Amino acid sequence: MAKILIPTPLRQFADKKDSVQLSGSTVGEVLKSLTSEYADLRRHLYNDEGKLRSFVNVYVNDEDIRYLNKEATPLQDGDTVSIVPSIAGGSAGIAAPPAPPATLSKDEILRYSRHLIMPEVGMEGQLKLKAAKVALIGTGGLGAPLGMYLAAAGIGRIGLVDFDVVDFTNLQRQVIHGTKDVGKKKLDSAAETMLDINPYVEIDRHEVALSSENALGILKDYDIVVDGTDNFPTRYLVNDACVLLKKPNVYGSIFRFEGQATIFAYPGGPCYRCLYPEPPPPGLVPSCAEGGVLGILPGTVGLIQATETVKLILGIGEPLIGRLVLYDALAMRFRELKLRRNPECPVCGDHPTITKLIDYQEFCGIPNQQHQEAAPVDGDIEPTEVKTKLDRGDRFVLIDVREPHEYQICNIPQAKLIPLGDLPKRVNELNSADEIIAHCKSGMRSAKAVDFLKQAGFKKVRNMKGGILAWSDKVDQSVPKY
Amino acid sequence: MIKINKRAWDTMVSHVEGTFPKEGCGLMIGSDGLVQEAVPLPNSYTGPQEDFFVIDPKDLLRVDQESRERGLDVLGVFHSHPNCDAYFSKRDLENSCPWYSYVVLSIKKGRFDHANSYRPDFDQTEAPKEELTYG
Repeated sequence: MAKILIPTPLRQFADKKDSVQLSGSTVGEVLKSLTSEYADLRRHLYNDEGKLRSFVNVYVNDEDIRYLNKEATPLQDGDTVSIVPSIAGGSAGIAAPPAPPATLSKDEILRYSRHLIMPEVGMEGQLKLKAAKVALIGTGGLGAPLGMYLAAAGIGRIGLVDFDVVDFTNLQRQVIHGTKDVGKKKLDSAAETMLDINPYVEIDRHEVALSSENALGILKDYDIVVDGTDNFPTRYLVNDACVLLKKPNVYGSIFRFEGQATIFAYPGGPCYRCLYPEPPPPGLVPSCAEGGVLGILPGTVGLIQATETVKLILGIGEPLIGRLVLYDALAMRFRELKLRRNPECPVCGDHPTITKLIDYQEFCGIPNQQHQEAAPVDGDIEPTEVKTKLDRGDRFVLIDVREPHEYQICNIPQAKLIPLGDLPKRVNELNSADEIIAHCKSGMRSAKAVDFLKQAGFKKVRNMKGGILAWSDKVDQSVPKY
Repeated sequence: MIKINKRAWDTMVSHVEGTFPKEGCGLMIGSDGLVQEAVPLPNSYTGPQEDFFVIDPKDLLRVDQESRERGLDVLGVFHSHPNCDAYFSKRDLENSCPWYSYVVLSIKKGRFDHANSYRPDFDQTEAPKEELTYG
C-alpha cells in the first residue's frame, strides 16, 4: 500500500481527505486507481490526451518521478506519493537590462520631454532606450516606419541590415526614402533620414544579405531583433538565429490589405516555427511584388512592431508574446490568436534538433540561384527574340497570364490575356499544334503556365524570360514598369 | 476573490522589495479566501532571476504539510515583476497551475507600485483577474 498526499486545493474532490491509501505496483497504477475512485480529480491531473498535466509534478518520497521511471516508477509498501504543482513564472522584460548611461544631455532632455513627463517612461525609461541596441532587418516597407520611429524614440544604437537600392516602386510605402534617394543604397538613404530625425542615435550599417554564415555574428551584438523582411528563407533564418541567440524577434508581415505582428523567440514563448513548422511550397504565397500591398499597410504593422520593441525595452504594459495580432485594413479590424510554444518544435522545443543555422534557401525549396543561371531552363525565350518573331510575322500564339488589372497597366498588344488561374478552364482556346509563348510580369507565373501546358500535352510552349519587365528593358522602353 | 491581511501583505512587499531587481516569490496561506500569513521562499531558478522565478517543489511540499498540520491551506502564490507592470505574462501563464491564486506585485525602482491577482485555467490559456484586497 502507498500513501497519496492530496494537495489542499484538490481535497474538495477527494471527500476532503488529505491523504488516501491505495495499492498499486507503480505510480501510474496508483494514480489511475486514485482518479477512478475520485473521478473529479481526473481533469485536474490529466489533460484530454490522458497525459499528466504539465503543472503536475509527482514525487515518490523525496524524488521527482521525472528523474526516476516516470509513471512506471515502482512503488514499495509504505512509500509516500505526493502531488505537487510546479510553480514558476516571471515577467517578460529584457532579461538583463544593460547598464544605463549616466545621464541625458540638456538637449536630449528637451528632445525627449514628452517621454520624460510620463512616469511609465521617465528619466529611467529614456536611459534604458538610450542603452538599448536594436537590429532592424530590412529598410523597406516595415523597416521605414520602424527606423524613423525607433530613431525618434531615442534607441541608442540601431543596426540596419540591407543591401538593396532605392527604386521608384519603393516610394509608394517606404517613407524613409524619398524621390531624391532613388538609385542610392537603402542603408545610406535610411540612415540619413534617421539621423536627420535624431542625431543622437548611433547607426551601424550592415550592407549584406543576411545569411546563415553572417547572421549570428551580426545579431549577437543587439538586444532585440526586428524583422522587416518579406521572404520565407530570411524569416526562418532570423527566427532560428534569434532562438539560438536567445533574443526576442519582433515580427511583422504584410500582404495586400492584411498584416500580422507578434514577438517570437522570447525565452519561454513560441517561435516562428511553432506557428509555421514548414514553409509553404515556393510560389504558393505571392510576395508583395507579385500580389501588391496597400502602401499604408506597412506603416500600421511596422508601428505595432516599433511599439512592442519600445515596450520590451521599457518593461511596461503587456508584451505581444504568445499572441498574434491580425490586422485587416479593409474591415479595419484587429483580431488576436493565441500562440503557444510547441514543446516538439525542432528549434525552440524541449529537445531541439536544429542547433545551428541551416541552408534556408534549400529549406524553403528555392533552387540555388547560381545553379539556375548555369543551366538555363529549357524552353525560355528572350524578349528580343519574341520581338523578332512578331516583326517577321512568324506563326505563334503569345499569351499573357497576368491578371486583367495588370494588363490595363501595360501590355503587349499582340498578346492574348489568359490569367494563370483561368488557364485550366480556358485551355481549349489554345491549339496544341501551335507554337505558344507565355509571359507574365517577371517570368514566374508564365513558367507555371508553361509547366501546366506541357503536362496538358502541349509540346511547343516557351516562357518569355523576365516577363514584361524585361520587355520594357530590352524591347520597348515606353512600356511602363510596375 | 482573495483578501490578504496586513501582516501577510507587509511580509510579501518587504520580501520582494528586498529581492529587487530579482524576482521574489513565496506562498500565501490561510483559509476561506483570507490570507493570514505569507511565507517568503527562495527563488530557485538557476538562470538570471530578473525575469523568472521557480519555487522548489520541496519547499511547496513542506509548506503545504506544515500548514495542513495547523489547519490552514495554501491559497496562492505571490511573485514580483521588477521594473515591470503586474500583468500575467505569457511566461506566467505557461507555468501556471489552476489550483491557486497568483498575486503579482509590480516593483518599480525597488518600491512596491501595484498588484493584481489572477486565477489561471486548466489549459494554461487564460488567467482571469480576480478581486484582490489587501492591508
